[in-house]
Amino acid sequence: MANLFRKWFLSQKPAGSDVADLQTSLDIKISLRKLRNYNPTKKEICHYGFLGSIMLFVFITNPAAWILKILFFSTLGLFFLIPLTSQFFFNALPIFTWLGLYFTSNYFPATVRPPITVKVLPAVETVLYGDNLSDILATSTNSFLDLLAWIPYGLFHFGAPFVVAAILFLFGPPTILQGYAFAFGYMNLIGVIMQNVFPAAPPWYKILYGLGSANYGMHGSPGGLARIDKLLHINLYTSAFSNSSVIFGAFPSLHSGCATMEALFFSYAFPFLRPLFIFYVCWLWWSTMYLTHHYFVDLMAGSVLSYVIFLYTKYNHLPLVDTSLFCRWSYSKVETYDKERSNPLNASLDDIENVPLSTMDTAIDLSLSGDERSISPSYIFDRNSNLSRSSATSNTSLDLQNEPFSPVPRLGTKRLD
Amino acid sequence: MTKLSSSLPKTFFGIFPLYIGVEIVLGVTLLNKCSGAFGILALFTGHPLDLMQWASYLWSVFTLVVYAQGLYQIHKPKLLTFSQIVVVFSIDTVLTCLFTLWFTGVWFAEESNTDAAMGTAASAVARLVKRGAEIDTQGATESYEYVFTIIITMVSLVFRLYFNFLLASFVQELLRHPQYLVDQDDIEQDLKNKFFLRRWWVVSQKSSYSICRHVLV
Repeated sequence: MANLFRKWFLSQKPAGSDVADLQTSLDIKISLRKLRNYNPTKKEICHYGFLGSIMLFVFITNPAAWILKILFFSTLGLFFLIPLTSQFFFNALPIFTWLGLYFTSNYFPATVRPPITVKVLPAVETVLYGDNLSDILATSTNSFLDLLAWIPYGLFHFGAPFVVAAILFLFGPPTILQGYAFAFGYMNLIGVIMQNVFPAAPPWYKILYGLGSANYGMHGSPGGLARIDKLLHINLYTSAFSNSSVIFGAFPSLHSGCATMEALFFSYAFPFLRPLFIFYVCWLWWSTMYLTHHYFVDLMAGSVLSYVIFLYTKYNHLPLVDTSLFCRWSYSKVETYDKERSNPLNASLDDIENVPLSTMDTAIDLSLSGDERSISPSYIFDRNSNLSRSSATSNTSLDLQNEPFSPVPRLGTKRLD
Repeated sequence: MTKLSSSLPKTFFGIFPLYIGVEIVLGVTLLNKCSGAFGILALFTGHPLDLMQWASYLWSVFTLVVYAQGLYQIHKPKLLTFSQIVVVFSIDTVLTCLFTLWFTGVWFAEESNTDAAMGTAASAVARLVKRGAEIDTQGATESYEYVFTIIITMVSLVFRLYFNFLLASFVQELLRHPQYLVDQDDIEQDLKNKFFLRRWWVVSQKSSYSICRHVLV
């Protein structure tokens, strides 16, 4: 086993590189020493302050026995302190916070919960998208479509986060898993907060009860998944969704949010398979609406939430991917995005393509003689192999050459090609 | 016009560079435009669609293609592509407002028709409840539902307008930048021998570019 691991994963490891190495120590003192010397930035104070306050809220409001709660949080704290487990568990703090809040949501008293909306989602859906897309897709059902819808919604959704995490850890650059845990955890956490603050009924409610008023005494419904229970002679989804923690949590759809987040991370790490990941998200969207679990507007809220958090993570945390490398151990260094260098609007005068036309026209020395005279301007500009044929040197530019034009290149900044 | 072009946002929410804003705008809009593809699936499910719905869904699919090319180019933008995007986005903003007005009318007309049926639904709900005195207050009131419907719709339209200005600002910056001068040789392109859609696509990009240069520079 060790030999196979070495052959497959460590054969390309650069000599002396330790960026992909993992902590193997069990010594708590190492973590305590790090903690003593730790100076948090403002961002980190906000991050830990936010997650810590939600954890504290969960600790107080969860109705489990105090001794169990103390035992659970102590175990979690211990995992955070042992270097071997800390490298995974501590980075998954946003995920633990989300799970804590999600499983406590069921116990909030109805008296403090906001009122359940029944009409808002179908109304917004019709106003923004022309019709209730869930109605359109669930108009006709059959066993084949039921199974097709069940695969992403009832199966893949629950296993995919772990599979994605494992693949990213093995085949993505070092630290990408940290970014995934951050983005995935925050997306779900914000999603559950929104579901609690803005309770809304899913499409199955409209089918069962029309647009009549809802209350917190009602049980959830498996929607179209009841047909799967019947088809497979099981009682899995009916019992699970009837006792769901957030029954009126249609908005946003975390099924959609999770699928989008997984697709975004996979597209980032393995761009050549992007069409496959886009297909998966579209498949899950269809199944979600077909099974009458969400309106399209819920799916959009989940996906947009994922997309925005992913972009934030990409530009602030994620390591750059080198698609020519095989796995995490093949990397010799970890680089992150430079927001300024990646900015296509930043340009330097060092780059010939950014030199204003007027400057270049006068820069060619007309007093050249002999062979030098035969050197064409394009040769002067293109001899540098890094430069493509410059648009600025062309006289075929789309009716711009005669325009009064005064470009202002940004000084002191570098362009990233 | 000059006033408009000089007052466009120069950053995304005053913090992030413009290109990150454009990446978010195109991504978010692209996700929303997928609604068109799902709406068209009505062809297979047998759900009836009226003319306005067809128009809205087909237009969404068209814009999906236009915006997708921008997302692929965001780090190496082409002025012609982004000119086309900003022009289509502006037309899309106007059409979205019109569609929103139309579909709002449709929803409220439908809702008033179903009000009669709601009496039976409400009694069905009453039979299912577990709690006692408080259940009446746990569901949202009519006004609460209306207020949230209006808020969500208005917020999405306001964001759309802001996104429109953000895209226009990005194209304005591209127009002012020497690196993105448009360089296209009609003879090299050999458009006469290309498929008519390709020809139409390039012509629309050039026309959009002219409009942008006229409005934004």
